[in-house]
Amino acid sequence: MKPAPFDYVRPASIAEACAILSEAGGGATVIAGGQTLMPLLNLRMSQPFILVDINGIAELKGVSRAGGATRIGPATRQAEALRDATLARQLPALVTALGHVGHYQTRNRGTVGGSIALGEPAAEMPATAVALGAEIEIASVRGRRSVKAEEFYLGPYMTVLEPDELVTGITYPDWPEGHVVLFREVAQRPGDFALVGMVGALALEGGSIARAGIAWFGMGPVPVRARQAEAALLGTGLGDIDADAVAALAVADTAPFDDHHASAEYRRTVGKRIFARTLREALDIRSVA
Amino acid sequence: MSFHASSVGATRYVGERTPRKEDGRLLTGRGQFTDDVQLPGMMHVAYVRSPVARGRIVSIGLDVAREMPGVQAIYTQADLAAIPVQMMSFFFTPIESPVTLLADGRVACVGDPVCMVIAESRAQAEDAAALVELEIEEETALVTIADARTGPLVHPDRDDNVAAEMGDADMLEEVIQPLLDKAPHVVTHTIRHQRIAQSPMECRACVASPEGSGEMTVWVGCQSPHLAARYVALVLGLPQESIRVIAKDVGGGFGLKNIPWREEVAVVVAARLFGRPLKWIEDRYEALTASSHAREQEVTLTIGLDEEGRLLAAWSDYACNNGAWPMGEDANIAVHMFMWPAHKLPAYGFVTRGWYTNTMGLGGYRGPWAMESLIRETTLDKAARKLGIDPVELRRRNLLYLPEQPVTSSMGIEVTDITPGECLEKLVAHVDIAAFRKEQAEARKEGRYLGMGIATYIEPTGSAGAMQPMTGETVHLRIEPTGKVVAMLSTHSQGHGTATTMAQVIADRLGVAYEDIAVFEGDSAIGAFGPGAAGSRQGVIAGGATWRATELLAEKVKAVAAHLSNASVEAVTIAEGMVHVEGAPEMSRSLKELAEIAYGDPARLPEGMASGLEAQFRYQPPPMTMTSAAHCCVVEVDAETGFVKILRWISAEDCGTVINPGVVEGQIAGGLAQAIGQVLLEEMPYDARGNPLAATFKDYLMPTMFDVPDFEYLHANTPSQTIGGMRGVGEGGCIIGPPTLVNAIADALAPFGEIEELTLPLTPARILDVIEQRDVSGRQAQPEKVAAAPVAAPLAPVPEVAEPAPAAPTGSVDGDWDMTLKAPMGGQTFLAHFDTDGAALSGYLSAPEGRQEFSGGMIDNGRMKFEVKVDKPMKITLKYDIQLDGDTITGKCRMGMFGTAKVTAVRPS
Repeated sequence: MKPAPFDYVRPASIAEACAILSEAGGGATVIAGGQTLMPLLNLRMSQPFILVDINGIAELKGVSRAGGATRIGPATRQAEALRDATLARQLPALVTALGHVGHYQTRNRGTVGGSIALGEPAAEMPATAVALGAEIEIASVRGRRSVKAEEFYLGPYMTVLEPDELVTGITYPDWPEGHVVLFREVAQRPGDFALVGMVGALALEGGSIARAGIAWFGMGPVPVRARQAEAALLGTGLGDIDADAVAALAVADTAPFDDHHASAEYRRTVGKRIFARTLREALDIRSVA
Repeated sequence: MSFHASSVGATRYVGERTPRKEDGRLLTGRGQFTDDVQLPGMMHVAYVRSPVARGRIVSIGLDVAREMPGVQAIYTQADLAAIPVQMMSFFFTPIESPVTLLADGRVACVGDPVCMVIAESRAQAEDAAALVELEIEEETALVTIADARTGPLVHPDRDDNVAAEMGDADMLEEVIQPLLDKAPHVVTHTIRHQRIAQSPMECRACVASPEGSGEMTVWVGCQSPHLAARYVALVLGLPQESIRVIAKDVGGGFGLKNIPWREEVAVVVAARLFGRPLKWIEDRYEALTASSHAREQEVTLTIGLDEEGRLLAAWSDYACNNGAWPMGEDANIAVHMFMWPAHKLPAYGFVTRGWYTNTMGLGGYRGPWAMESLIRETTLDKAARKLGIDPVELRRRNLLYLPEQPVTSSMGIEVTDITPGECLEKLVAHVDIAAFRKEQAEARKEGRYLGMGIATYIEPTGSAGAMQPMTGETVHLRIEPTGKVVAMLSTHSQGHGTATTMAQVIADRLGVAYEDIAVFEGDSAIGAFGPGAAGSRQGVIAGGATWRATELLAEKVKAVAAHLSNASVEAVTIAEGMVHVEGAPEMSRSLKELAEIAYGDPARLPEGMASGLEAQFRYQPPPMTMTSAAHCCVVEVDAETGFVKILRWISAEDCGTVINPGVVEGQIAGGLAQAIGQVLLEEMPYDARGNPLAATFKDYLMPTMFDVPDFEYLHANTPSQTIGGMRGVGEGGCIIGPPTLVNAIADALAPFGEIEELTLPLTPARILDVIEQRDVSGRQAQPEKVAAAPVAAPLAPVPEVAEPAPAAPTGSVDGDWDMTLKAPMGGQTFLAHFDTDGAALSGYLSAPEGRQEFSGGMIDNGRMKFEVKVDKPMKITLKYDIQLDGDTITGKCRMGMFGTAKVTAVRPS
């Protein structure tokens, strides 16, 4: 289990990295934490000619605030993001979800951007980005662009990212202070990709839901936004929410699959339950507070 | 217990949690595994494997691959065939469907090795392997047991896809069914056990270094260097001395490494052909998909009980998927041998078959017969619920307690000192079942589903002398002139800690410090033949050998000391490395001083005594030593998600004398972790084309520390009849664990319904099937679904003896015949001689092992019935029922617990 031969470069800037990606004409692969890529290289399921190591690019790391939003550099380690005070204050849903990404050891190496860019449909980070309304910043020698997380994912491990493009930042819009975090996943072992999971945030104003962002993971080929459920919640008073009915609407937007760990029917059945349970618990806590 | 009464040191070592001698190097990364071996000029091997499950090899294109950097050679079977190899099973019998090291014209499973690339580095070997052009004409694969029953032949040279079969189908109608018909209660249970990938921490590995004229040193991940050396020598037809096997550290064996298999033997053969050292290190992808798998069984058990829940009769129909190239064709007769000896069951019958399919071959796996406990204990619990009897009480009514022994089971197993009932009582006394039932009832009112499972088992351990290659063990022991002790053993540790436990025995019995003992093992040049870690035997047999050898050595030390001090032997004691004479403290000497005299000044020794301080003992224990246990597990099932949380697990085991409780508990815990994996997580599924679907640990779910609880241990120990009183404990957790956990889950699910058919693993989806009484898991969609019949009609029955046609011309049977008996551990061929006198039949069966005369047989129109009593491997009576038809004889032989075997005979050519 040894990787096929490849060249290795460690650019010092985004511009340099983009130039290498452009020149490689699709033959290059970006490595940050390597927690997924290294096994794929060893299994020879990924055989790039050039491995572009972005760990030396300072501007791709760290958390910053800008214009009513929080920006995470894609090469920020998951463990660092978990400890980050700004994220804890601004994006508690993201921090909650991060605690379920891989294992303690893999989070020391794995990056936020790596998980976002990989596009594993059962992973926490892509669904969190979709739920919270994040934008993915992308650079190439052709210029820069920004894509809504919801439009970033095309299918399992497939994104809108072109071979010459690099993710340079993930920007999460602010949610009001005191917003409600929704998170629950069902995984066979801690650290496994979820059989089914959901993540989101609810903002309250005057006893009713003023803003809602909720997404599923493990419930389709891409992270699935629970649009019908969000619409049903918006403007609804806390006392009028029928958690089971909302959960049923949420499941209606999904397209889960069968694999040897669980059936689509299991994912729908249990997904609906964890959605309702999470919603109920989150709002109960809110009403007591 | 004998180990308390001691004339040696006051310091006890047996029974203590002595720190392990192995741990220092293992925990600091200084272990010496096969991959740590680096030799000058060593080349690396990568295999090209079949991506197709079944088909004909049209062509193998090597031109491009041969030109790759670093490539030294690429071998196919045509190249390796230059050195003839006859692969054998673990029982040292020929593999019936002869397996070649690399694929020979056809492939029979995905992962079948086809080519062997030799290059300067493993990476270069893999680069070239990727460029080998394989053209295979794919044929429809047989994947499941159901496929094997009806599909084309996996091995075209065979008559059918039955790899092995035993049992007596007639017995159902003749004996068992009438008893079941009369039974007030009949309970049937079916289990489908998934395929397991053995997944040792260290994958397989082999380094072969040709030396001198035909000698070779082989480093191989194995369970016994002696057994591996013997195996390699035999399959290559070499003298055993020409092969030296070294295996210092091995990361887990579990049965996978019982014998070197195709890839390891291919490395040895290739090293001889290539003339330089070769290394093959299996990677995890190969380990998961192309190392011998385990389990994959389908079994149905029917039991009849009286009104009080006492067993009346039982019948089971067992099938296992052997894959294409099993490490010995197997119908798993041991499942049936060990299902009932601990129970008062008047009548038991079975049919049991192994089937060839186009999947990876099966090998032994910790407790290979474990299905006997899983099906028995889960069926008993099902019966307990049906009859409304407490599961503990149901077991009490059926188990054989010590005062009722010895007893010989209906299959001929004699039990003299088993204690599953006593273990159960100890367990029950420790676990407050009444309090749990109250808690369970309260929890159910809140929608929380708790369950308690209890199971008992017995396990044959320390097998010796009854079958190849299970033998006794030799220990060489000496006190060096330095006063330190050296032991040379044929034990082997893949994590077992044998250097620790054997040193504890020596320290305890000799009266020396544990730190002053060095144990050498892991090398076929050290010690004498022993099969190492297989069948839970090392503590029992090597422990007994070490025990006695140490006593012999202590006797010599005392004799020397008594002579030198002019004292009686009885007055001499040894403690802490010092030799004392009672009443004469000034005469105390260190072992070093005594050893210096024994080696350097032998004139001072008693007349006629050999110089030095050495002892040697080869221990031949009883053929089998039984271990017993009862376990209890408490779970909570989340009715919304189907997840199982293990809240508590208590083991009450009887493994006789405990040398080191830490080592014993480690063995139990490891087996239980595997049990939890089998019940809840692990599965190697195949798709319909024969592709293994769990190719990484992302999909093959091993239990982790989060999934395995802290276990509680009650050591309920009665010494065995062996020297030292040990009983084997290596496999028990893996055998009793699955039924204990399944019973707990079934108890939790009882308010919803029965697990009508148990399909493992019990995924959350399958648990919701029971909770919701509908198809959540999608099981209906699975094509391998087979209709469960309480007693499945055998589809490929043992050929019936043809009713003699009145006019059938039959010649005389008198004289010699070459007879073949298809026994469970391989075919046996011998000479049969018959003499007739009217309807009376007598004669003898003769083989190199001896001749067995028989008389009192009957012959009627060519149909012969006679009985032969044999002592080996067990005392059984062979009942022949065969039919002469012209120049051939066919029929069957009932072999007691070994079931029924096919018999054929022809006239000697």
